Order: sequence, then C-alpha cells, then structure tokens
Amino acid sequence: MMKLTRMLLAATALTVVALPAVASGTLTIAQRQDPQNWDPVDTFILAWGGIASNIYDGLIRRDESLKLQPGLAESWEVLDDGMRIRFMLRDGVTFHNGEPFDAEAVKYTFDRLLGEQGAQGPQQSNYTTIDRVEIVDENTIDMFMAQPDPVILTKLSGYGAMIVPPDYIEEMGEEHFNLNPVGTGPFKFVSYSQGVQIELEANPDYFEGSPELDGVVFRFIQEDSTRLAELQSGSVDILNNVAYSAIPTVEADDNLKIVSVPGPTIYSLALKSVEPALTSDVNVRRALNMAVDKQALIDAFLGGRGTPISQLQGEMSFGYVPDLEGYPYDPEQARALLQKAGVAPGTKMTIDYRSGNSTFNEVVQAMSGFFSNVGLDVGLNPMEDAVFLNEIVPQGRTNEMFQFNWGGWTFDFDNTAYLSYRDGEKWNPYGTSEEMNRLLVEGREVSDVAERESILQDIARLAHEEAYHIPLYVEDQIYAISDRVQNFTPAPDIRLRLVDVSVTD
Amino acid sequence: MPILGFIFQRVLQAIFVLIAVTLFISYAIRLTGDPAVMMLRESANVTPEDLARIREGLGLNQPFYVQYWEFISGFVTGDLGVSFFRGPIGPIVSDALGATLLLALTSLAVSLLISIPLGIYAARNRGSFGDQVIRIFSLAGLSFPNFWLGIMLILIFSVTLRWLPASGLQGPASLIMPAVTIGVILTSTNLRIVRTTMLDTLSAQFIMVARAKGLSERSVIYKHALRNSSIALVTYLGLQFGSLMGGLVVVELVFNWPGMGTLAIEAISQRDYPILQTVISILALMIVAVNLVVDFLYMALDPRIRLE
Amino acid sequence: MNGFRSFEFIAGAILIALTGGAVLLSPWLFPDGGTQMNLAARLTPPFTNVAYPLGTDPLGRDILARMVVGGQVSFLVGIVSAIGAVVIGTVVGLFAGYYRGPWDMFLMRFADIQLALPFILLAMTVIAIIGPGLDRIILLMIVAQWVQYARLIRGSVLSLREAEYVQAAQSYGLSDWRILFVHILPNAMGPLIILGTLNVANNILLESSLTFLGLGIDPLIPSWGGMLADGRNYIQTAPWVTIFPGLAIMLTVLGLNLLGDWLRDRLDPLGHTR
Repeated sequence: MMKLTRMLLAATALTVVALPAVASGTLTIAQRQDPQNWDPVDTFILAWGGIASNIYDGLIRRDESLKLQPGLAESWEVLDDGMRIRFMLRDGVTFHNGEPFDAEAVKYTFDRLLGEQGAQGPQQSNYTTIDRVEIVDENTIDMFMAQPDPVILTKLSGYGAMIVPPDYIEEMGEEHFNLNPVGTGPFKFVSYSQGVQIELEANPDYFEGSPELDGVVFRFIQEDSTRLAELQSGSVDILNNVAYSAIPTVEADDNLKIVSVPGPTIYSLALKSVEPALTSDVNVRRALNMAVDKQALIDAFLGGRGTPISQLQGEMSFGYVPDLEGYPYDPEQARALLQKAGVAPGTKMTIDYRSGNSTFNEVVQAMSGFFSNVGLDVGLNPMEDAVFLNEIVPQGRTNEMFQFNWGGWTFDFDNTAYLSYRDGEKWNPYGTSEEMNRLLVEGREVSDVAERESILQDIARLAHEEAYHIPLYVEDQIYAISDRVQNFTPAPDIRLRLVDVSVTD
Repeated sequence: MPILGFIFQRVLQAIFVLIAVTLFISYAIRLTGDPAVMMLRESANVTPEDLARIREGLGLNQPFYVQYWEFISGFVTGDLGVSFFRGPIGPIVSDALGATLLLALTSLAVSLLISIPLGIYAARNRGSFGDQVIRIFSLAGLSFPNFWLGIMLILIFSVTLRWLPASGLQGPASLIMPAVTIGVILTSTNLRIVRTTMLDTLSAQFIMVARAKGLSERSVIYKHALRNSSIALVTYLGLQFGSLMGGLVVVELVFNWPGMGTLAIEAISQRDYPILQTVISILALMIVAVNLVVDFLYMALDPRIRLE
Repeated sequence: MNGFRSFEFIAGAILIALTGGAVLLSPWLFPDGGTQMNLAARLTPPFTNVAYPLGTDPLGRDILARMVVGGQVSFLVGIVSAIGAVVIGTVVGLFAGYYRGPWDMFLMRFADIQLALPFILLAMTVIAIIGPGLDRIILLMIVAQWVQYARLIRGSVLSLREAEYVQAAQSYGLSDWRILFVHILPNAMGPLIILGTLNVANNILLESSLTFLGLGIDPLIPSWGGMLADGRNYIQTAPWVTIFPGLAIMLTVLGLNLLGDWLRDRLDPLGHTR
C-alpha cells in the first residue's frame, strides 16, 4: 500500500510541477521512437543514431554528404593487404566525465564489442571481421582483421563502434552506463525519462569546437498527429519523423517549413520466384513491374518527396547503375505479358507486408488497384513485424509478393545485394541463380574499388533482367522545422548533426 | 466463524486465478515469436549462431517451467527482473503504473462527481424533460468509440483552438483531454446505475416507512437510497475495472500517455516477454484485488446479501 | 412509457433501420463495394462533388460508399460474435446452473480468469500468435464474451430449478434435457435477448478498436474501424475521413443501446441483467 501511495504521489507531483520552461538556446526535437538504452553495443534501433551521435564519436565519421572524415582518429593507414589498419588518434580529447580519450579507451571499446558484453547484443555481428585491437602507443592503435573487409571503414562510423569510457563503465557498472551515457561528443547527457524525453547539454570542450546551442531535448511522441500538433504549438522545434500526410499542413504554416534530402531507404516488393507461385515465371514478374505507376505512388503518398528506382539502391549508393532504365509503366504490355504467360484475368494473388507503416499501407492498397487494372485480383495481407520477420519470410512461406525495404545505411550496394540475392540469406528464401551467386561472392573477394563497382553494377543489371523485385522508390529524409531553427542541414542518414545549429527567439 | 471460512475461500480462489492468468500469459507470449530475431532485424549478416547467442543471454533456452518459476518467484518477492530491451523493470513499471493510475483515478473521481448528483436528479424527476435529456446523453456517451472521441478532442482543443497540449504527461493541462475521453464513458455508465438504483430504492417499502416516521425527505434520500446506489456502483466498478484497464490502452496510445497500456503495446510488438508478463500480471493482480475488496465491501454494506 | 410509442423504441428503431437498412441494401446501392480507387481525386472534401457526396479517402475512394459497405463488417462481426457467445454461454450456463458440480466450478473460475485479463491486451497477444483476420477476431470475441451469458443463464436456472413446475416435471420422470430446454430455457430468454442486443453494440465498438490498433483485416475490405485507422494521419488536413465513420459507429451503437434499454424496461424490470 505504501508503495502505491508513493507512486501516486510521485505521479501527481510530476503533473503538478510543470516541466521547467525550456531555456532559450535549447533545441527541442520530437521523434517517434525512444531507443530505450544508450549503450552502443546493445542498440538495434535506427532511431538511436540521431540522438547518440551527439553523445558519442567513432574513430571515423561521415559528414552531411556521407563522405568519410576523421573522427576520433586523425588519420589511418590500411596495411598488410587490408589485414591491419593503423589509426593515429586525436590528442587532448576527454570524455564528458573528464576521463582522457586514448588508445586504452579504443582497445577497451573493441574488446567489449567483440567480447562477452557485445555477445549479448545485436551490434557484434556487424563487426565480426575485426579480430582484435592492439595498442601501439598512447595515440596509436592497430586494428587486426580476421579477413579483409572493404566496408570496415564505413562500419567504424556505425553505432556499435562508438568509443566508450573504460573507467566510467568499470566504476559505475553496465546497467548505469546503459541509462547514463558518457562519450566524447558535442553534447553531454543530462537526464533521461523513459518514453518521455532525453535531455542533453552542450559540451564546451568538444574537439571540433563548442556547439552553438546550450542544450538539446529529444521528446518521444508516438502518435503522428500529436507530434505535429506539438510542432505547430511551438513546444517542439524539429520533427524527426514527419508523416507524409502532414506535409501540406506544415507547408501551409508560415512559421514552419519542410527540409528534405534523398535518403537511402528503398521500398520494394519481393517476388516469389519458385513454383507453384505464378510469379515463378519471369514474364509474370516483368508484367507486375510494368503494371505499377511509381511516380503516381510517390506523388500521392509521399507528397512527391521520393524518387522512383529501377534497382534496389539509390543514387548515392556505391554500385548504382545510372543508366539502368526500369520497366516502364505500361499496363497494356503488362496485360499482354500476362496473357502470354497464361495467367487468366481474375487470377488471385496476395501481397504480404508489415502493418506498422501507414504510408506503405496506402501504397500497397494503391498497388492492388494498379494490379486490378491489368486483370489481377490482388489481396492484401498485413502482419505484425515479428511474425513477418520471424517466420513468414525466412521460412519461405510468403505469398506471391512481399514487402522488402531496406535502409542502405552503408550506402554501398554490397550489403543490400548480398541480403537479397545470395542463396541462403534470410531475405532470399527462394534462391536466385548460379551466376548471381558467383558475382556476389566475387564482389566480396575483390578489393580494387573500380572492379568492385563494376561487379556491383553487373549484379544490379542481372537483378533487373530477372525482375526478382518490383523496386518502387527511395524516400526522402524529411524534417519539419520551425523558423526558430537556424543552420540545420539535413543528412540522408538518420544522424542529426547539431554542432552548428542554433535557435533564435 | 463462517465469514472467515468464506474469506479464506475467496482468497484461495483469487490466488488460483492469478496463477492461471500469469501462467497463461507467460506461455502465450512465448508462442508469439522470437525476440532475438526482433533485435537483429536491421542487421545484415545474421547467423544462427548470433541468434542462439542472444537467446542464451536472454535465458530463453531454459525450459518453460524454469523461466516461469524465475518470473513468478521474483514477482511475488518484488524483484521484477530485467527487460530484454531496456533496463531493470521495476522503475519502468512503477512510472507507468503511476501514470495509468493517475489517469484512471482522475477520470473516476470526475465521473463520480458528475454522475451522482445528475443521477439523483434524474431519478427524482423521472419522466421530466431533464430526465430524458440525461438519459439520452448518457446513452450517447457510451456509444462513442473512445479513441475516436480522443482524436476529435485533440483536433478541437489542441490543433484548432491551441488551448491544451496534445500529448504526454506534461502538467495538469495534459491530463484534461485523456481524462475527459475516459470520463465520458465512465460518467455515462455510472449515471445510468445511479439513476436506476435510485429509482428502485425510492419505490421500496422501507423508504415509505422512513417517511412515515417523519424524517425529512432529504435525509431519506441521501441516507438510505445513496447507500443502495453505492452498493451497485461499487459492484459495478469492481466488475468493470478490467474493461476500464482495457479501454485505457487505446486512449493512452492516442494521447501518448506513458502508462501501462503504452508499455504493454510496445512490449507485445517487441516481444519483450518480461515486461509484458509483469504488466499483465500487475493488471490482473489489481483487478482480482479490486474484485475481492468489492466482494467484502458488498457483504459489509448489505448484510441481507450473502454471496454464494 | 413502456409501449411501442416510447421515445427509446422509436429513436432506436429509426437509427437501426437507417444504418442496418443501408448496410443490407449496400450491394445494390454500391455495387463496386467502395473499392474503386482514384488517386487523382484523393482527399476530396465532402459536399463539393456530386460523385463523392461525403468526400474521398486517401486513396480516392468514395467515403459514403465505404461507410455503407463497411457496415457489413461491423454488423457481421457484431452479430455473429454475439450469437456464438450466446449459444455457447447458454449451453454452459444451463449445465452449470442445473447440475452444479464441475460444470459450475469450471464456469466460475473461467469467468474470474477472463475478468482479470483486459480484452484488448489479450486480443493483441493472441492475434500475434494466430495471425489477424476477421474469423480470428470473431473467434476471440466469442471466447471473451460467452462467459457473461453463461453466468446470466446460470443465475436464472438456479432460481428456476426450485420452481414448482420443474419439481413436478422431475417427479414425472421427464429427462433432464427436456426440462432444461423446454421448461427452463424459455423463461430465461428475456435477459439473454437484452444482453445480446447490448453486446452487438459493444462488439461493434471492440471491432473498431482492434482494427484501429492494426490487428485487422485486409485493408481493402471497407470496415468502420479500418476507415478510422486510414484517416488517423489526416485529421488535420482531411478530418472528414475520420468524422463520418466515427459518426456511423456512434449512431449504430446508440440505436442498439436504445433498443436494448427499451427491451430491458419491458422484459426485465427487476434488473437481473445489470
């Protein structure tokens, strides 16, 4: 009973004491998801990066145009045919708790990531190509690879490789660190209220210079309409996840605007290419591709903020084929192809997809309309993420068409291609072809950049020939900002680079 | 004393129910899918070894009865364990519980404040225009889909009028709309109960007797009739506590209220077994406890009635 | 005012006639089932275009058509679940009340357990296991609701079995089945009907909640809950997508509640069904 009373009192106190008025010089950002823990090794949620990249740094970072830049490592050399990389570390950097950043910290970070602590989390599997890290001297480390990895430098700018403070973790314990992160980044952790918000303040000793802002607050608001309402009322300055349906409202408001940049996330429908599905016939697959008016989908449901794609990657991806024209929107030809393949009008098919995304929900409904235009009766089968990802896809129990979208965060086609076309991979339960598999394996063995690009492009072309998917579009990364915000440059990856941002009143 | 025996029997039944519920939900959620796959869903090269490794870390490769025992023994001793995806469950759940109770109790209090006087008025003036209006409104109040009502309120008061904050737990103003959304339905139901039981009581014999004794009408009504109404209200609240909790789930979602409902929804979609088990067990505990209390109160308030 | 002229009966009957009637006639009124998409005409406001009197939804489908056709799902789920629950509940309740013993214990414990699990959370968990679909939702609702009918019948049976004519029938050696179904059940019907009516109303609300939560059905099939879910993101720009289906639900449920109330006044003035 006492506990109950205490809880009630606490909750009442929470409401009665209104949240302190936000100091000027503080930026408030609202997003849908709360990443729920702050340990780089444990995180598996994309939304983590936007916040945590302001608390932590990696050895390498990517700038707004996604080029690799020095982070906590000033420079590096790739040696021994890619089996060893030497990093020269930045001098004079400290963690938020005063602890010095040095080679010890880097070794500790990677030992932890590759060791027992990392084994319990999802990030380790991204870094298994690293064998170990050894200290050369206070500001130099050697990273030994288990096998050459052409993408390792990009991965080192990723979530799992953020550098963590050894003394702090050893002293305060893993659980404390999980909820009270300490890093080297431009903002320091102040407080975290689960499901509500996380508060950060500026780190004046940041090695790239003190941020313009005094602090940042990230608020977690699940409901799209609620998030928007907060932006309109001025309680929030930036929306990190903007529902497409909200775009007209934002643009109509004088105090708000939309900034966007093409993102890497591709949306497509994967096609079941084995019997007895009708889509085992390549002509049927091509017909399906021609039945869909991708631009109409983009205009209607993305507010025009997207680009149609002919391959499972966007323009900025390494391995992109610029002159690959997709299947045209041509319902006539689609009907002809279907007829040739012996598919009678009124044939039923089904699209399996994840029910969480309301925009995609609308997209598949519209696609069903396009398919009925060419004589097919296509039903929809929404399912929960867990069921879709756990059972239906990996076990090859999908219907003729199923959703495949992938955030190509490495901006390198190798990742997506391997997942989608390599036999035995989870997203490819039906197999592709010998030639495709050969190309994929070859692509990973080659280290010459030009050669890799050429192989990846061949893969993209082959995939297009075989029409394993209906590639739909890449979404723009959209932010809604109030005119209080100055100097905000959106980047295609989810990271929010807030060092140069400031607010006026 | 037969009463002690009765109490003992009831408590035993309650414990049985709780065990059945916690067992069922622990088992059921383990049928819904693999949290390890959920964790790794954005990662590229996932091997079966990775999945096995994570499952082991989460304790999922132990037999079910071991996992259940760990959970239930911890639960009754107050050690709520650790979630799969977040930290220790204790603080998470107590914050959420506080938020939900705040919402539930506020709505309840407001609804009682409105429904009791109005119900009495309607009963005393049965058949009048005011009574008709009250009856129609209370029926209408039951007929809204609660989440729709919530969305409409947000549309009117947050977006158009900018009077109230649209979401979250942010100070007393943010309590208003969610409490009204739930309160409308509660008030409607309670109104009808008060009105009906007042009507019943007002025609009962002993009121006539009390009047004949010369007590003022006021005291007749407010003492005897109110007591009967409270019996009915209390019984009803006990029974409906469960569906109140259910209704809260959707309303919390619409208003981004950080309560048990939101917590449960997230836990289900992430397959976070420990949190879901704990949330549902706590809710079940509350519902069973409330019903037990209602049963005992019932006995105390109306000695004429003995539950079988 | 108890007769057919009472306000409740008239109002309730009118509402149900309107909504139910429209739904029944929907295959003739809207032969395309409200599925015709027109991306160019998406989100047309109501009362601006004769072709779309109540406007269009985010996929350019006529809202009026979808509303009327969508009632099919709601009524179907509501009525079928109620009937299923009534049938099962009646059988179990009859046996529990008449024979007592294990039937009775099973019923009462099951009732307690089911009371302790909030339906929406239970539904979400179970659907996560067995998958979404209209038949699953109906099944879930039947399982969740048969208990209240069973308890009701049980209560009636408990009091009726002591009645004289039952004792007489027993002493004549009539079989238990005859006694139960011919003598006892007809007298317990009143409360059943009332509860059934009110339950259809409640089921309609529940179904819309479940669909709104995304536990639903093929989104191409119009349903009121589905329409509310569709319109959720467009509250600011196109509120009519949400307002009209919400109104449809409200009016239908209100009509059913009015009728249920009227029935209650006539058939069960003593309040057994509360």
